Formats: sequence, C-alpha cells, structure tokens
Amino acid sequence: MIEFVEEETQNPTVVIDASAMASVCTYLKEAEVLQFDSLMNLAGHDPDGESDLSIIYHLHSTVLDHYITLKTFTPRENGVVESVANIYRTADWHERETYDLFGVKFNGHPDLKRILLEEDWEGHPMKKDYTPAEFYRGMRIEKVK
Amino acid sequence: MGRLHAEEMVLNMGPQHPSTHGVLRLKLTTDGEIVSHIEPVIGYLHRSFEKHAENLEYQMVTPFTGRCDYLAAMGSEHGYAMAVEKMLGIELPERVEYLRVIFAELQRIASHLVAVGTFGLDVGAITPFIYCFRERELILDLFEMASGARLLYNYIWIGGLAHDVPPGFVEKTYEFLDAFDERVTEYNQILTGNKIFIERAADIGVMTPEVAINYGVTGPSLRASGVNLDIRKTQPYSIYDRFDFDVPLGEGIQGTVGDSWDRYYVRVLEMKESAKIVRQALDQLPVEGDVKSAIPRRIRPPKGEVYFRSENPRGELGYYVVSNGKNVPLRVKMRSPAFSNLSVINEIGQGFMISDVIAILGSLDIVLGEIDR
Amino acid sequence: MIQSLANWILSFDILSGMGQSIAWGISLFVVSALIFAFVAVNAIVLVYIERKVSAFMQVRLGPMRVGKFGTLQTVADALKLLQKEDIIPEKADKPLFVIGPWIILVASVVTFAAIPFSDTLLAANMNIGLFYVVSISSIVVLGIVMAGWASNNKWSLYGAMRSAAQIISYEIPVGITLIAVVAVVGSLNLQTIIQAQAGSSNLFHWIPIPLPNWFIFHSPFLFLASFIYLIGATAEINRTPFDIPESESELVAGFMTEFSGLRWALFFLSEYANATLVAFLVAIVFLGGWQSPFADYKGAQISLLIVTLVSIMWTIFVKTKVGRLSVYPLGLSLLLVVAAWLFPGFAVWLSSPGLFWMLMKVAFIIFLLMWFRWTFPRLRVDQLMYVSWKVILPISIVNLMGVAVWMWLSGEIQF
Repeated sequence: MIEFVEEETQNPTVVIDASAMASVCTYLKEAEVLQFDSLMNLAGHDPDGESDLSIIYHLHSTVLDHYITLKTFTPRENGVVESVANIYRTADWHERETYDLFGVKFNGHPDLKRILLEEDWEGHPMKKDYTPAEFYRGMRIEKVK
Repeated sequence: MGRLHAEEMVLNMGPQHPSTHGVLRLKLTTDGEIVSHIEPVIGYLHRSFEKHAENLEYQMVTPFTGRCDYLAAMGSEHGYAMAVEKMLGIELPERVEYLRVIFAELQRIASHLVAVGTFGLDVGAITPFIYCFRERELILDLFEMASGARLLYNYIWIGGLAHDVPPGFVEKTYEFLDAFDERVTEYNQILTGNKIFIERAADIGVMTPEVAINYGVTGPSLRASGVNLDIRKTQPYSIYDRFDFDVPLGEGIQGTVGDSWDRYYVRVLEMKESAKIVRQALDQLPVEGDVKSAIPRRIRPPKGEVYFRSENPRGELGYYVVSNGKNVPLRVKMRSPAFSNLSVINEIGQGFMISDVIAILGSLDIVLGEIDR
Repeated sequence: MIQSLANWILSFDILSGMGQSIAWGISLFVVSALIFAFVAVNAIVLVYIERKVSAFMQVRLGPMRVGKFGTLQTVADALKLLQKEDIIPEKADKPLFVIGPWIILVASVVTFAAIPFSDTLLAANMNIGLFYVVSISSIVVLGIVMAGWASNNKWSLYGAMRSAAQIISYEIPVGITLIAVVAVVGSLNLQTIIQAQAGSSNLFHWIPIPLPNWFIFHSPFLFLASFIYLIGATAEINRTPFDIPESESELVAGFMTEFSGLRWALFFLSEYANATLVAFLVAIVFLGGWQSPFADYKGAQISLLIVTLVSIMWTIFVKTKVGRLSVYPLGLSLLLVVAAWLFPGFAVWLSSPGLFWMLMKVAFIIFLLMWFRWTFPRLRVDQLMYVSWKVILPISIVNLMGVAVWMWLSGEIQF
C-alpha cells in the first residue's frame, strides 16, 4: 500500500495506493509530529503514452517546516483516486483541473466537473495520446502543424 | 397572510465586466443585495500552456511563462529558470543573481501598483489609479531599457540573462527609487487613510489564518491574515538571504486582521520593502561578470523532477518540472498562486453585498492569465 | 421677466397691434427657449470642464486635439451621439424605455424657471419658488426607475432601485436644511431670499469681522446647514461619493446601461442640469445669489488687497515648499488688484450685483462637486443610507432648532 522512494528530489517521496489517499492525508494532517497543513501542489502526470497516470501531491507543514511528496498511480482510463478535497480545500480546484486534463476521477469530491475547458468538451488533453475530435459544437477544430 | 417568500436571484457578473480582473465569470446567488453563494467560472483564457511546454525545448518555454502572469512576467520567468537550473545544477555568476533580484523586485513593485490602483478603482476612487500607473510607467521604462519590452520580456533565460543591462540603467533606477518613497506616502494620504475607503474595505472578506492555509492562499493575501510565511525568508532562493528587509503582516489596524484593507495595506508596505531590496542590490551589484557565461549550450537535464517555489507578487509560484533526459520537458506544471487565491472567494464572500464582493475580488489581486494558463 | 419681455415686444410700432396675450405668448416661448438653450450650452461647457479638471487632477492633459485645447471635444461627441443607431433591447418595455430619459430631463429643466439669474433675469417670480424647485426636481426618481425597469436587465434594475432609495432618503435632510433658511427669511420666494442677504454684517452676528451678509455666515447652524445641504445635494444628483446607481466599476453603467446614442446623451444632459441646479440653489440660499461680496467700490479695492496678501503668503509658504510654482493665485490676484485700484469703474462694477456674481458662485460650487468626484471612493449603498438617516437627518433637525434659538438670542425674533 505504501512504498517509500528516495530520489534525487529534495523531498522524501512516498508512493501510495489510490484508494488510501484520503486516509493517509488525514493522518499526515493530524499527526502531532507531522502536521502537514498545507497542500502546495497537486498535479497529474502522464510519463509516456502507455503506462499508468501518476498524480503528485506536494505537502508542506507551515508549523514544523518540513516537506513531503506523495505519488499515486491510476490506470489510464477511468482511474479513481480518493479525493482529499475535504481535508485540504486547496485540492478542490486542483482535483477538478486534474480531472479536466487527465480524466482521473476523484471519489468524494464535492463538485467534480471541468474547470478550464468547456463543460461539454470531449477528451482529456494532457494525456500524451490525446487527439482532438473533428468538430466541437459545429466548429471545426484546427490541427496544429 | 403567510410569510413573504423572497426568492434568491442568480446574478451573473459575466466574463465582460469592468471589475473582474480579466475574463472571469462570477455566478452570484443573491437575496436582494446580500450574496449567499459565489461560484467562480474560469477557463476563458485557457491557452494550454502546459501542453505547449511538452513540445518546446526548455529555453523556448521561457516566453510562454511570461505570458501566463502578464503583470509579473519577470517573476514567472525567474521561477521557471530557477527550477530548471536546479535540475541542471548550474552555478550562476554573481552579477546575474543580483540583476535577477533587481528585476524581480522591480516587477513586484509594478505588479503591486496595479493591484493597489485597481483596488481603488473598484471601490470608486479613480484618481489613485492614474497616479499608480504614473509610477508604473517609470518601471516599465527601466524594463524596456534592459530587455526591449515593456510587459512580456523573455529576458531571464535558463543560466543567465538575455543581455546585460545598458549603461545608464543603474543611475536611472536610483532616480526612480529616490522618487518612489514619497509617492507611497502620497498614496497613503489619498487612499489608505480615506474614511470612505476604510468603510468600504475594513472588515470585508475576513480570512482567518486556518481558512487561508487550508485553501492554499499564499502571498500578500496570506500575510494579511497574520501568517508570517514569505518564501524569500523561509526557503531563501537565489541570493535573498543577503538582503535586509521586513515582511509586512496584516495587523487589523482598521478592522479585523485579514480583511480587505489589510490585504491592500500589506501590498503598499511590500512596495516599500521591495524598493529597499532594489537599493541594496544596486549598491552591492558587482561590476564585472558576463551574464551569458553560464547559459548551457544544450539544455538536457538528467532524468528527475523538481518542484521549485518562488515568491511571485501574487503568492507562491511553483514549477513542477519533470525531465526524462531529453531536451524537451516531459511535464511542466505551473502552480499559480492566483488559482488558489481565487478559490477562497466563496468562503470569505458569503453574507456580504455585491459591492463588497467586488472589493474582495479586488483585494485578492488575481490575474486570469495565470489562473487559466 | 416674461411680462417685461412682452412689453418690450409691444413697444415696437409695427408689432404693437398684436395684443397683450399674443405678445405674452411669444415672450413665454422665447424665455423657455432661452432656458433650454442655457441648459444645453451649460451641459456642453461642463462636460469639457469636467474632463479638463479631472485630467489636471490626475496629472494628465485631457482633450487636446479637437479644437484649440480640446474645446470642441463636446461638440464632436454630441454629433457622434446624434448619429448613432438607436438600439432598444428586444424584451425592453418600449413606452417606458422611450419616456424615461425624457422625464428626467424635463423635470430638471423645468426647475430653472424659478431660478433668479440676476435681479432682473427671472422667468417666473413665484411666491413658492424654493418649494417648487425642490418638489419638481424629485420627479427624476420616476424617470430613473422607469429607465431601470424598462431595460429588462438585472443590473439596470439594481441601479434604479438603489437610486430611488438614495434620492428619496436624501430629500428629507435637504428639505429640513432649506427650511432652516426659510425660517430666517420668512419667505419661500427665491428672489426675496437673495435680497435678504444684501449688505454686510459681522461673522456669526457677534464676531467683529465684516463679511457679506450671506446666510452661510449668519450663524454656525446655517454654516453647518450649507455643508449638509451640499452633501445631500451631491447624493440627490447621483454624483460620487454617492454614485452607486451609476457606479462604473460595479454595474457597468447602472440604470443607464442599455441606453445608447441620443437617449444616453439625454441622461448626461440631465445629470449636468441637475448639478447646475444644485449649484444654483447653494449659491442662492447660502452664498447670496447675485449679490456681490463687496459692499462698495472701496470695499472691493480693500478686499482685493487682502486677497493679494493672502495669495502672496500662500505662494511663499505652500507653493514653494511643494515645488510647484504657477502663475494662478499670485498672478491673478495681482492683476485684479491693480485693475481695481487703477480703474475705479472696474471696482464699481465688481461691487455691483448681477449675473456675473451668480455665475461665479455657481462655477465655484460645480468645481467643488467635480473635486469630490475625482477624490473620493464611493460609498456602499447601505453606508449611504446610514449616512442619510442616522447622521445627516438628526444633525439637520438639531440645526433647525439651533437656528431658531440663535435668532432669538441675536434679537431677530422676539417672543
């Protein structure tokens, strides 16, 4: 469920199961020695066009001044991660953006809908194998040369 | 006679509106004048910066970063350059570091001038806006001298600067600094202490520190709630640890700690502090040094990732850059401060009137370019 | 005035066979046209002045290209507005949409019939002049609400509702302060009010500084009343700091949003007509109307000498410290005092009442109104209401009682 990874990045990185995300974050926030009260960044990432998508959480403790990075992996289509939006309100919009651009669903999010693209856009553009549709609402989508 | 049933009205402050700073749509649910729910709708300025960055070489991404936060372009370029330099492990010449700090702080002053001026404009005081832009013109002249452009520079490159500053730049900057401090006093006289302005801004949109940290609010909006978090002090990057400056915090002088007046006043004080930093940097600026000497010929960071935070005028600007060893980044995520700053507006704007919502929005100082990227 | 104009028409031999009523009818028409022309020309001039004043306050130049120093700018703007397409929104209430702006304009212009421009220039010498002016000028609320409702636009409706609440709330303190003045004079006739301010007397009746006998110097209560009236009147005409109904940064243009071209020009015209009306009322009621501030030509010369001394002090102590020397206070006062001492006729003309002094005072008040607009932020609508009901109204009621007490103490009335 949890795997500790030491890389050249400055912060310790932990890989967590997608379904355990909420409980891990709750623990991280409330534990006396940890007190990670600030979610700095929540990003989606598609390493190449084939393997699993990864979602990265950068956490910071304003009280104790230490940092940690969490990573989780989901399948490319219909991936589901436990939402941390009720623990860190920052995650509300960041998770909507990750859903919008990568197609990862967040279980338990108060209002998961697209944020940057239009409500009826098809596809999730940041995936490496994304090709836009031919038409959107009757307008031709130009191919970028 | 039953009770009068008043319905709630959904009011749309549409994408085109003089007071939403950019193309932002606010869906206000109001009961008469009192707002009960605010839902910001963004995405009107989405230009797929992150997708573009995956097809461009590292140095070609720099102009794109400036265009995201167009009011603080030097800050955006600086953050990106530092993120990639961290991955490459480059050591920069002293002159480059000092010049970068000078430009970043001048940009902070310019951005805060816009924030302060437009906040006054939102509450109806039109004259201070013109005065703020008068000062901003002087700063933009300095930028034009150095980089050739007034707003979007492509100047802070990975490993150095595009070109060195021309002769006469240092003198002109000193002139600007000498004139600037009394101007801040002028703004305080005309706007900060004005009774009507205080009535419009004090006790409006109070943000407690817990709400601020939980929503990811950073920058002057966070410090106005009393939280002493400035990345230049807590995690000093570049050469900020060599300068002596204070971090202004909101103290609730005219109302509650963390209200719109505090957010406005913290920005006014930060302008003064930035002027101090620029003066110190100019005094210590090394005369020799080639600004282009550390620019690598081919930028191919080793495999890995980095999350680098810098203090943008609006807050914590974070770049999450992932490299797979090629000369094109695998992923560039810009964690923009205004994105999280805007998300707090529903929490702090409930129960106020429509005019107050506009004041709160003005005090949060958002730029839609970096929210939508 | 209408009668005298009619008599003048009949005094021509060829026209004398016309008969009284026809001559009266013609002169009525001419006088009305003159008043409307005054309002129109006034608006054109004021738009230009406002743009220039605001520009100078904001360290810019304002219109400079159209005509020398941009003087023809308003003419160009008016021509542009006249040839614009008349857009009426599809779901707008057409009759109200069309009539609304006209009601505002007509209500503003009609009040000028009772305003005495000088001792002889007065269209209708009414016994109830002041009452007429105040009551007719409140009809603009009707036009504003019509305009806001007929636009079928939530934002316009907001603006119109706010404006209605604001204007109605500020009527009361404005009325009560004016009653304080009427209590001193004993008549609602505007000409009588001005004539009661002739001559000179001490400041506040007992302080031995000779000042013109204007009501603003009559007692501290009327002094306060003039400021309260100015504040209330600024709210009546929807100008900053009370311009919530048309707040540019919040509601785009408030109740005027959907009006374009000529209809918008009508709003603008009526805004400046209202501003001028308010300035006239302040000048008439508190500043002595067409009375000159100088008692006689000697008074004029000595007063101008004092003004020159003050401007010398001002230039030395204030302007040089700020570093902005300009020709205006010192140069202007030197010019005036030299002319007054060299040409006694000039001093005699300065000390005689007339249209010139009325216009000077009106110009000063309008400048004050513009100064307010470009300095202050705007009040929120509930703060506006708070100021009206909880601050200005109690003060004006206390004022009224204070004036009565003052008049008894200074011997003007006996019990």
